[in-house]
Amino acid sequence: MMNNSIPEPSKAEREPASSVVPGVSSDGPDDDLQLVARAQQGDSRSYDLLVTRHRARIFSMIRNMIHQEADAWDLSQEVFIKAWNALPRFEAKARFSTWLYRITHNVVYDWTRKSRIESAGELNDEIFDRERIDSSSSTTPAGGESPDETLALGELRTKISAALAKLSPEHREVVLFKDVQGLAYKEIAEVMECSIGTVMSRLYYARQKLQTMLKNEYDSR
Amino acid sequence: MNTTPDETTLARWLEDELEGDELAAIEAWVSGHPEHLAERERVRKWRAMISGAVPAAEEPPYPDFFNSRVAQAIKESTPQPAVATKTRAGWIKFLMPAAACAGMMLTFWLGTKTHSGPVEVDVTGAPKAIPVEPLVYTPEKGVEAECFSSSKASATVIVLNGVDAIPDETDFSGSTTMRGLREKDKTAAIQMDNEEGAIR
Repeated sequence: MMNNSIPEPSKAEREPASSVVPGVSSDGPDDDLQLVARAQQGDSRSYDLLVTRHRARIFSMIRNMIHQEADAWDLSQEVFIKAWNALPRFEAKARFSTWLYRITHNVVYDWTRKSRIESAGELNDEIFDRERIDSSSSTTPAGGESPDETLALGELRTKISAALAKLSPEHREVVLFKDVQGLAYKEIAEVMECSIGTVMSRLYYARQKLQTMLKNEYDSR
Repeated sequence: MNTTPDETTLARWLEDELEGDELAAIEAWVSGHPEHLAERERVRKWRAMISGAVPAAEEPPYPDFFNSRVAQAIKESTPQPAVATKTRAGWIKFLMPAAACAGMMLTFWLGTKTHSGPVEVDVTGAPKAIPVEPLVYTPEKGVEAECFSSSKASATVIVLNGVDAIPDETDFSGSTTMRGLREKDKTAAIQMDNEEGAIR
């Protein structure tokens, strides 16, 4: 789990560091491949830059999938560690970011599978469905973000997150890849290891469900 | 484009994935199908709503620490160079028999240079062994101890005089000594069996 004694980040270390690498001046896919080539030769500095470039998207994807920040932090780490170990086998047939999403997909599904096994018989997730909770009960479980997070993220995001959480992992993932991360059908199919037709079908039904749940928000726009 | 595009191409057009000639061809076909244009607008509106509310990229908390943790994990998981170790191990393995032979020869040579006869040691001044009576120490005042030892019985009995009587309610069941006694005491074992039988 995430260590509580994490030091405060310095502003200098937050800055993108791509400009300090000779021959790498922008953040495009071609520059990714340059960094990957160097990292494959054991250049840990280049790999550190790749982590800096992609960590925000990977963390966001995982966080939106599992809705737990601390676990998302750990799983994002796992993605980059696994990517480093598999880097010698990366052949640049796909974009590096797509390859990372593929690892992310596997890491999240492994985590979900383990979580299901560990929680088997201990907790029924259906009890968190607010529609099933007696309105007269003295305490009700918190189903969404904390009040501070709600203010920070905005009401719409909170509603979308809550609606996404009600989808199956496959439907949630395809919506996040398509509508949030902006991947093409072909890339999503590669990441999720299925056909383009399956991606189209999942996206269609996932959007239908979300639009039903977010009807008021969607119609008001 | 006069023919109807396939489902995948149409879906990719709806998602704004097409470019170049492919896009131009389907745009020409769609101009005669306003329902598809309306559908594309709905998809664009939906995507704008979702992508506007849910950020595609969010820095993880403590991003610098995030990177250092990844670097540390990679460093720990990277195996040490095995080639150098293997070479060194092979070198040592090769020299081991030679070193053993040299050691044996050196020991033999040193043996020939030292005294050839038995070593005589003068023990006349050494202190003689004195039999010592066992000292029994009792930390509590008013308590005297007597010690009886029998080598034939292989037993030593210490009698304490002046010790307060042990209350009957004292529970020794958890002590190691009592557990050992009970295991050796056949009568106690029988009683225990009877008790267990009564319980059953």
